[in-house]
Amino acid sequence: MSNFEEWASATFRHEEIDFDATDLALVELIYGGALHQLEMLDRIDLDAFPARGIDLRHAPKAS
Amino acid sequence: MTHPQDLSLRQQADAIRHGDISAREMLDATLLRLKERDNDINSTPVVFDELSQAQISQAPAGPLFGVPITVKDMYALPWRAARNGTTYNLIPASASGAYRNLRDAGVIVIGIANQHELGIGTTGVYSAYGPMANPWNPLNCAGGSSGGSAAGVAARIVGGSLASDSGGSTRLPSSFCGVVGIKLTYGAVPYDGYFGAATTFSAPGIVARDGGDARLLTAALLQRPLPQQSGSGLRVGVVRDPFWNDVQPEVHEACENALALAGWKAIDLKIENLELAGAAFLGRLIAEAGIPSREVLSSVSAPTRALLLAGLLTSARFVPRADRVRAAVRYSLASAFDSVDFLAWPTAPATAPSLEEPWVTLPSGRVPVDVPNVRQASLANLTGIPGVSIPVGLDASQMPIGLQLLGPWGSEARLLDAVEHMERASDRRFVNLTPPLAR
Repeated sequence: MSNFEEWASATFRHEEIDFDATDLALVELIYGGALHQLEMLDRIDLDAFPARGIDLRHAPKAS
Repeated sequence: MTHPQDLSLRQQADAIRHGDISAREMLDATLLRLKERDNDINSTPVVFDELSQAQISQAPAGPLFGVPITVKDMYALPWRAARNGTTYNLIPASASGAYRNLRDAGVIVIGIANQHELGIGTTGVYSAYGPMANPWNPLNCAGGSSGGSAAGVAARIVGGSLASDSGGSTRLPSSFCGVVGIKLTYGAVPYDGYFGAATTFSAPGIVARDGGDARLLTAALLQRPLPQQSGSGLRVGVVRDPFWNDVQPEVHEACENALALAGWKAIDLKIENLELAGAAFLGRLIAEAGIPSREVLSSVSAPTRALLLAGLLTSARFVPRADRVRAAVRYSLASAFDSVDFLAWPTAPATAPSLEEPWVTLPSGRVPVDVPNVRQASLANLTGIPGVSIPVGLDASQMPIGLQLLGPWGSEARLLDAVEHMERASDRRFVNLTPPLAR
């Protein structure tokens, strides 16, 4: 079992979720792809992206 | 004599109002057509034969009195729980906000529009009711998640459908099926009784055959008039990379030709921080998707279950960063809308793939269609803006191509002006294209 499979299996068991080898293989594929994209967010300069309120119904107010 | 469902939705409403046809005759003809046509496409797996008859006697004399529509499985109805493409009653039966608005306009809900299970997918391959197929070729995907809405409207089973859009779920199937699909501004309709209430992405949507029908239904859904103005002389922002560059050549050409035909002033545009928008969408989406009950989780397809389980493994550290990017992209968009009226790019990067293997080949390679579909669509969901898909022709295999327009918050009327302008500029030759199933 790979490190990923061990970790994922332990997480799913903790959550009392039934899973099989097909689930693990698909999850590893999807998780790997998602993580690759999400890690872009780790590299942002937080000073350049200040936390601001978001009201999705309207255009943002001029800052 | 013309079948009532070959009339536009506006003509249906007028015919009933003027007494040319009764609401009951309209309903009977619609239910019969549904039974004749839906076997191949599975757009409307749940039909309210008797309940729809009962609705006629209670319907108010609104602008859509007696007009039959379908409603996606994401909305609770007074007589049916929302199941979200599963076999489970996930939101108890009630009059959802979107349903109330349409009911007050006088519509008759004849059935539940099929959808991709849990709304997680742009193909329509997986649903507790079985896959939904494309009226242009039943071997191909209708799209998702609102595939039943788009397929039913394209097949002339109904003139309109209440859909929803969390990552392109109204616009993408509309593109695949050659109909008009509009995603509303986030929060513009009451969200009670609607699955979208649990996310910050989802908005109700309308699927119709043309811009005029979409305007009538959208105005009813928003409960405010959407006055028609000229759609000529607009300024359109064209964001080349990746939205125009990584699409099939036929799709690119058809969308480019349609823009030229419309005669709008095209301005090449860069949107600051756009390269981070996909990651921000994903970060938030995974966090908000959550995990359904163990029963539901064990009932869905392996790909959907894997998507949900992958979310369970994903660190929450991405969420606040995704929100910072989301806020920044919203400012960038607002700034872009100072110089253009709307943005335009192909709705889907390719025409509908086969149900058996829903992958597409793009300049960047061969990929499952969900990935580039969501890339083309999700900016509207991340930022809350409305968007619309317009039919702009067929590819060599006679499958529809859609052009997407995205406008500022609350610009639904303006977007529909643009749709109707495009229809006039093209002598309605795109919007009047009819799938083989409906000929």
